[in-house]
Amino acid sequence: MKNGDKPSISAALAAATCTLLGTTAAQPVNAQEEPGWDFNTSLLYYGEADDRIQDLSFKTLSTRTFVDDRYLALGLTVDALTGATPNGALPQSFAQTFTKPSGRNTFTTPPGELPIDDSFRDTRVAISADWQQPIGRLFAMNVGVSGSKEFDYLHLGLNAKLSRDFNNRNTTVSAGVAFASDELDPVGGTPDPLTPMRVVRDDDDGEGGRSTEDKEVLDIVFGFTQVLSRNFLVQVNYSYSESTGYLNDPYKVVSVVDGVTGDAVPVVHPPGVEGSSHLNLYEHRPDSRTKHSLYTQGKYYMGGKVLDASYRYMTDDWEIDSHTLDLHLRLPIGDTKYLEPHLRFYTQTAADFYRISLVDGAPLPEYASADYRLADFDAITAGLKFGWKTGGGNDMSLRLEYYRQSGNISSSDLIGNQNDRDVYPDMDAIILQYSYHFGL
Amino acid sequence: MRNGILISLLLCFAGMAGCSSMGVEPWERDVLAKEEMQLTTDPLEAATDDHIYFSKEASSGGRGFGGGGCGCN
Repeated sequence: MKNGDKPSISAALAAATCTLLGTTAAQPVNAQEEPGWDFNTSLLYYGEADDRIQDLSFKTLSTRTFVDDRYLALGLTVDALTGATPNGALPQSFAQTFTKPSGRNTFTTPPGELPIDDSFRDTRVAISADWQQPIGRLFAMNVGVSGSKEFDYLHLGLNAKLSRDFNNRNTTVSAGVAFASDELDPVGGTPDPLTPMRVVRDDDDGEGGRSTEDKEVLDIVFGFTQVLSRNFLVQVNYSYSESTGYLNDPYKVVSVVDGVTGDAVPVVHPPGVEGSSHLNLYEHRPDSRTKHSLYTQGKYYMGGKVLDASYRYMTDDWEIDSHTLDLHLRLPIGDTKYLEPHLRFYTQTAADFYRISLVDGAPLPEYASADYRLADFDAITAGLKFGWKTGGGNDMSLRLEYYRQSGNISSSDLIGNQNDRDVYPDMDAIILQYSYHFGL
Repeated sequence: MRNGILISLLLCFAGMAGCSSMGVEPWERDVLAKEEMQLTTDPLEAATDDHIYFSKEASSGGRGFGGGGCGCN
């Protein structure tokens, strides 16, 4: 009977210690819990103003915890995307016609408006699976796979991470690597960079001689987490990311303009040929990009309130530098509810090949893109989340956020009449997300 | 710029050496064990935000891997 006594004594001691400390104690007790499933689900609406992108997204993350802290996480996301996205061309004081990506017909943008391509409609399905388990007493490893499919895009990825605890588990050091192999299959085929927008091909089957392009992404992340005090925890991550292959956006163009007026240059098509009314060239980006980022996050507990602050600095070899400051403050309301205001500030410099327009007759640069996401801009997010516990002990939350992007276009980059037009209108979006977290 | 990152990394590792005297005893982890004190409190919200900002800005990742896997517009 002596052998049988040992666990009961240690269990009694553990229970007594927890009672004394008044805690719902951590790891050892969790390890004894029955294995079970835990479900995070959410429904998201993301909507941009001016009939731009709208996304209705369902996400679920199911985790099953096994004994000894091993767990499996399975993720599923389904996005239904509609709306319109800027095609890169500049607004003009006259109407402009563009060929749709399919090459089957055209659309016309009224005078003074930013050209947006409204043929955008897609469904994206993404899945992921991650397995985590301890190795020995101080190490933990995580391996995962991911995949996603859109009409014109396929992503497959693998990742692995190893971490080790030091200093009585007050310090954790980790290293991770992820590799993605993506395939693009642009609607209407892959356009040749810096060539004029294609004309309508009425003999086309709509597939436009589709051809696939590849892109590979390697990510390496080194992480360091430190408990500073009973109420204060910090994390620092360094990330290296290398993308190679086809990095263009096959649907984006750059306006070619008159060097004096800044107006788009008209195109005359032969009789019977329909196409873009003005000269627009397909964009061209380098076929590699290397990014470095440093991310730091702190969590500070202040008598029930929790401040979560993070800052990220990113720099890359496209000459884009960015700063991101993200602040969440969780304010408890009684024992079962909380309010969480959120503020996020973002700023980035432009890619060195970002061009508002190209001048007619001037030598073509090697690379050029008018994609608004590669411009110099600032963005702000302000939001509020309300969370509560249901009668059954599950968690629900609702958050509403507002996102605004404002471009910083230097007047020295504008030519003639471009100064009179809003070449980078602000982009406004709202994010509405409902989440439900429950266990079985 | 790369020197800056190298210096930051060196500072981190130097900091690590100093961290051996920081932290708490195992019985002082009551606050750190709370759900709201985890580095990622809501994994779906974090994934949602990473995906939105990846699609709309030229930066991604930091908290974890760079994300991606979409031909986002």
